[in-house]
Amino acid sequence: GVSVFLAYILCILSTLFCIIYGAIMWNKDK
Amino acid sequence: MNLIVLSIIIVVYLLIVGYLGFLGYRGTKTEGDYMVAGRQIHPYVMALSYGATFISTSAIVGFGGAAGVFGLGLLWLTFLNIALGIAVAFILFGKRTRRMGHNLDAHTFPELLGKRFNSKFIQILGGIVIFVFMPLYTGVVLIGAARFIESTLQVNFVLALMVFSIIIAAYVIAGGLKGVMYTDALQGTIMFIGMIALIALTYIKTPGGFIGTHVELTSLASQVPENLVKGGHQGWTTMPVLGSPLWWSLVSTIILGVGIGVLAQPQLAIRFMTVKSNKELNRAVLIGGIFILAMTGVAFVVGAISNVYFWEKIGKIAIAAAEGNTDLIIPTYINMAMPKWFVYIFMITLLAAAMSTISSQFHVIGTSFSRDMLRVGVNDSSGILNSDNGNSKKSGKGVVITKIGIIIGIVISIILGYYLPPSIIARGTALFFGVCAATFLPMFVCALFWKGSTKAGVISGMIVGIVTSLFWMFFVHKANAEMLKLVVVLTGKPSIFGYPWNAMDPIIIAFPLAFLVTIFVSLGTKKLPQDLIEKSFKNI
Repeated sequence: GVSVFLAYILCILSTLFCIIYGAIMWNKDK
Repeated sequence: MNLIVLSIIIVVYLLIVGYLGFLGYRGTKTEGDYMVAGRQIHPYVMALSYGATFISTSAIVGFGGAAGVFGLGLLWLTFLNIALGIAVAFILFGKRTRRMGHNLDAHTFPELLGKRFNSKFIQILGGIVIFVFMPLYTGVVLIGAARFIESTLQVNFVLALMVFSIIIAAYVIAGGLKGVMYTDALQGTIMFIGMIALIALTYIKTPGGFIGTHVELTSLASQVPENLVKGGHQGWTTMPVLGSPLWWSLVSTIILGVGIGVLAQPQLAIRFMTVKSNKELNRAVLIGGIFILAMTGVAFVVGAISNVYFWEKIGKIAIAAAEGNTDLIIPTYINMAMPKWFVYIFMITLLAAAMSTISSQFHVIGTSFSRDMLRVGVNDSSGILNSDNGNSKKSGKGVVITKIGIIIGIVISIILGYYLPPSIIARGTALFFGVCAATFLPMFVCALFWKGSTKAGVISGMIVGIVTSLFWMFFVHKANAEMLKLVVVLTGKPSIFGYPWNAMDPIIIAFPLAFLVTIFVSLGTKKLPQDLIEKSFKNI
């Protein structure tokens, strides 16, 4: 059960990583 | 369901797709435009094209249905889709692929690998693997789309299969990769809207909201059918029993097979070569991450919690409500639970998901045929079949032969679509992703990251990957071997090995083995010429 909960959290965290990385680089590459 | 309203919506959608295909046709001046979209694609178009190509009806209907059976454990696949399929793929693989593709002037995935290791054999064998196995993957996506057109528009399955293929073929053949990517961007946008609406409506429709729904799904564990409990099922909010047959099926075939296989998909890797700088790839990470969460995250969560809806409404779990066919869980849920206006939106969403994937599959089959198999295979040094630099006119022979390759691929895909058995969508997809991972991934990783890898090393790994994959598929992995029947004919048994080996997906064995062989043979064989290494890694 913890494993499924962890998957849920990791999905959210990996999406947040994509958003933050993309936003930082977007700003940097302007 | 009002057929007239639905028909009008579909016609309008197809007209817009046709217009975008025409824009692609008009913007295609050279062979480079036709094969790699002129390397000038906008980051929004590239990210959505990558995502929409990656996500087909297989992911939404096939794997969404699998989540209806297995539960939320499939979210591990969503995590891998985002972490590997977007973040690692774009940031680590994408930038190097783009630069190396440009340095070596590669127009296809096998051509990139072939030129990197100075080997025509790699390019030809890579082209053959794609040309042979890709129609199987295309066939299962076509089945998903045609079955769904059959049930909603009430037309004959074979007619749906034919008309659908011809519509896609028209804009792929005319518009090349530009036509494919422009239409992908529209289709990806539609898919995003459709899936966001689906998750919102699902939680609105299920009493108890977000928390209540998940608490209720947990309490449904007592309703798991006896045969699934024996297989290791413990409910829809927990993983199956560690090491049980269901656990192996979920972890090795669904999560790892597709989760890792995405990194070596020819139709996705080629996307990295369509942008002009790393700036576009960085921006695509942001769009891609959100898009994939909205696709597989939504499909898997909805598939799992459809059990709560079905249980409350008709006292059955999802797989029973869909009469045992996993591919029908999502369509049954949509038709029963969702308002009528959303059913129309979902139709177009599924149509877009299928078309965006199939168009790229057709395109890759065509370029493999012309650029990788024929041009290199018949030792066309005079450039009769293809120009070398991609600057020849789009009416040149290379493009003409690509179009012939696309037509051959379409015919094979339609025939496979007609003959393949039901409940094949998720399995056929996983099978193709697994073959690609074992064949291409060790070589692809070495090509991008290890200057010391050798031609002999990567060819050994490639052959071990293909042979092990096929052997395991035909003789050991019970789920595949029973379907392919060869092992039953030869030995009278469903698998030559016992449990747990016969529950493991080929990728678990073939991919690590191919990687180890690549490394060890590379360590003991002749290095590649220094000037080729310098050319490949220029500015990387």
